[in-house]
Amino acid sequence: MAERGGAGTREELDRVLADLRALSEDIESCAVLSGERDLLSSSHGPGVDRERVGAMLAALVNLSEKVARENGKDHTSQLRIDTEGGHLLVVRLDDGGALVATTGPDARVGLVLYDMRNSRGEVEKVLAEGGEG
Amino acid sequence: MKKLLRNLFLLGALAGAAYAARSYLQGESAADETVQIVFDDGSTRSLASNTTEGQEFTDISRKIVEIGL
Repeated sequence: MAERGGAGTREELDRVLADLRALSEDIESCAVLSGERDLLSSSHGPGVDRERVGAMLAALVNLSEKVARENGKDHTSQLRIDTEGGHLLVVRLDDGGALVATTGPDARVGLVLYDMRNSRGEVEKVLAEGGEG
Repeated sequence: MKKLLRNLFLLGALAGAAYAARSYLQGESAADETVQIVFDDGSTRSLASNTTEGQEFTDISRKIVEIGL
């Protein structure tokens, strides 16, 4: 499930993502991207190209930061993209990383974003503890 | 000759109608795809997918939603 980082951190991130998915049933998949744009953990299914997904997520987060700079802002704190197939939701972490989730088209997006914002603190805590150890 | 011209005219009209319907439907679905960005100061910006900037976001997101994380 997890991709990089210490074993303890990976397991903890997996647990946080599993808790988030259990809490928010509309979430189909979710992941944590580090401030260096590395895919730290994800709920990918078999057959999903992790490097490709990580690169696409990094491109998306970089694009949102570019838009923030162009608008005279420091950074983007939240991103919601509605597509025909579903929604892509991104919540920024303190270190510049991101908590990302996908949902189906009929998801209660406001509720999912609320749950993601609530989980953000726990993800940041795990990453901070992992950095110390 | 007259009949041939009439058939050609009808064929052209049909092709035009099909193209117009296709463009209309594509435009409608594109407008459904939107991007909402919330900045650190709480301000927001929305981008439609029929803009160059918005399309970059929706193109990547469509693929991610399709394959999952």
